[in-house]
Amino acid sequence: MFNYIVRRLFQMLPLLFLASVAIFTLVSLQPGDPLDELRMANPMMTAEQFEDLRRAYGLDQPIYVRYFKWLGRALGGDLGRSRTYGLPAAEFIFQQRLPRTLMLTVTSLTIALLIAIPVGIFSAVRQYSAGDYTITFLSFVGLSTPNFFLGIILLYLFVIVLPENLGWRGLPVGGIPNLMWSDLQTGRVTFGSYVGQWATHLILPVFTLASGSLAAWTRFMRASMLEVLNQDYVRTARSKGLNERKVLYKHALRNGLIPIVTLVGLSMPSLFNGALITETIFSYPGMGRAIFDSLVNKDYNVAMAALTFIAILVVFFNLVADVLYAVVDPRIRYD
Amino acid sequence: MTKAPAVAAAGQHRSPAGSENVWRLAWRKLRRHRLAMVSLVVLSLLILMAVFAPVIAPYDPIAQPRGANLRAMYFQPPSATHWLGTDDLGRDVLSRLIYGSRVSLLVGFLAALSSVLVGTIMGATAGFFSGRPLRFFVGPFVRDLEADARTGRFLAWRIASWVLFYGALYLGARIAWTLSSPSVTAALGGGEWTNNAVLSAVGLAVAWIGVAVAAWRGLTARFRLDLDIVISRLIDFMLTLPSLPILLVLSAILRDPRAAVGNWMYATFGTASSVVIIIMILVLFGWITTARLVRAAFLSLREQEFTMAAQALGTSNGAIMFKHLVPNAMAPIIVEGTLQVGIAILVEAALSFLGFGIQPPVSTWGNMLTNAQTYIFYAPWLALPPGFLIVITVLAINFLGDGLRDALDPRRQH
Repeated sequence: MFNYIVRRLFQMLPLLFLASVAIFTLVSLQPGDPLDELRMANPMMTAEQFEDLRRAYGLDQPIYVRYFKWLGRALGGDLGRSRTYGLPAAEFIFQQRLPRTLMLTVTSLTIALLIAIPVGIFSAVRQYSAGDYTITFLSFVGLSTPNFFLGIILLYLFVIVLPENLGWRGLPVGGIPNLMWSDLQTGRVTFGSYVGQWATHLILPVFTLASGSLAAWTRFMRASMLEVLNQDYVRTARSKGLNERKVLYKHALRNGLIPIVTLVGLSMPSLFNGALITETIFSYPGMGRAIFDSLVNKDYNVAMAALTFIAILVVFFNLVADVLYAVVDPRIRYD
Repeated sequence: MTKAPAVAAAGQHRSPAGSENVWRLAWRKLRRHRLAMVSLVVLSLLILMAVFAPVIAPYDPIAQPRGANLRAMYFQPPSATHWLGTDDLGRDVLSRLIYGSRVSLLVGFLAALSSVLVGTIMGATAGFFSGRPLRFFVGPFVRDLEADARTGRFLAWRIASWVLFYGALYLGARIAWTLSSPSVTAALGGGEWTNNAVLSAVGLAVAWIGVAVAAWRGLTARFRLDLDIVISRLIDFMLTLPSLPILLVLSAILRDPRAAVGNWMYATFGTASSVVIIIMILVLFGWITTARLVRAAFLSLREQEFTMAAQALGTSNGAIMFKHLVPNAMAPIIVEGTLQVGIAILVEAALSFLGFGIQPPVSTWGNMLTNAQTYIFYAPWLALPPGFLIVITVLAINFLGDGLRDALDPRRQH
């Protein structure tokens, strides 16, 4: 097992190298460059001044030279500065944006799992009942609804329609509460109102982001449980007279949950794609929004820091999923 | 794996009796799947709507109204004259919706078809040649009897492989040279280590010695290449990339009229270029699932007797792959292809929603939602129709895919 992990870690390196090459190339090949804005801001700029600026930004060099320069600095821990925010890209991404995105994604992942697992079990146990059909239908609807549409609908419902008709204050349109962690420490806000304000801001984006995974995992859980319930050992357990609860939760569920472990690990990429769209709709200042803005504004350092980080995360979670799979299922061995 | 086409493929794969029965059986099973049949009807209606858009649409989807009272023409709520209202430029929403279905459906179906095609070819290649490495490179000074015996095609490939190999070496040497130039070394960190001219000279020497050794060895080397490893690694690599940001960037790059690629796209495809671009982009990540599926199917199919029989008869690899094996893997391919249509429509809508897909004034369901979000607070009628059409279309496709899976898989009883 240890050897397997080490081997996988070494296989990750060339993969990540190639991924960062590809990301860097594509990001730098985007039409327009950071200087366009400067030129527009100052139409009096002469050609020489413009060339000087190009040289100062290093944009006169070929892409692969720029890449290796970036790589050399990045390996030394320097990810450059954000052009639009004037901060070091690492500080901007990892200290400001990442915690917010993690809050969003981890919450929606947890909620999706907490709902999908019991609902999937119910659906499998009552196969072909009215409840099963309803759940299956709803999860199909969830899979077919683009999360940006769901987000717009939720905004409309919870910000306009329901408040207007119920005389309720409604949920915020988007963004995050104007609160700092230090406000809590100095006692400017109570803990309750701190949590409450975050909750009202998070509830719509979290639900928007969770909907896709929720639908997919419910279907997956149902299929996985159905497969286990048809196994011989479940029949054996039933025939020796165990009560149904024990059969379900001790024999079937433990094996039915195994594939879910992998699925959660592998759902990282789609979760980040979802976060990009969700954060754009709800103006939630997280990493997805930062990636989108950095691509539009040609803020290369931010885009590279965030996208490479996601690539590393995806590869890492693939490994974690494989390792966890072996941990929870002793039938699987790597050597 | 269905038995019947396997038998049919063994010798008389054109036999209509053998293969038709399977499809007729599947059709009969599909007809019993109520949701799938409803979905089929819904999809047919949507396609008819797209095809006959010019006949059905009450207004021009692009024309903006003119007249004295423009203010009254913008943001009209649904009424008898404009069933779904008008948008921020006074255009009829219903007409834009109907015309939008043309682009959305066309992109969905073509992207899915191309993805499945590419995926099948890649998966078939990977699965069929897995563990059977192909001759990839034979150095110029190798006396290769087998290659000599064959004619033109192999000689051409041999020369092409020399060009590839030595071209790559040249590129490596050039990159090493550029990187070792003083300004670059200084920029690499500016510390004592990297600033050291001796160190950079050593690095350059090592790189060039490596290139020289590879060039010398290459003269007499032979490599074989396992295409399965190449394709599987490519898939691993693609899955590492953050797909949505990459798609956004690619769409911007391909659409740039100032660059050579964008210019060529506009010159070749004209106004359709943004549709072609979006299809290309969707295929880039769309082929992967089909490829994995077909690869897995091929790994088991190629060990079966009918494959060996075909090989014994001297059938070429290409004919075995695409005439004998692909028909046997058709059931999962069809199901995957159906589901891919839904995925393609969703991704196209997401890209267009973010402003990186089909560009206005051409309407698609996705880019109609971009505007809808901006004005959701005082023109909510803009958001609902395109969104619901996306949901209904994708839902119908998913139900159809589910029905097809039940119908085509003999192990499934519904």
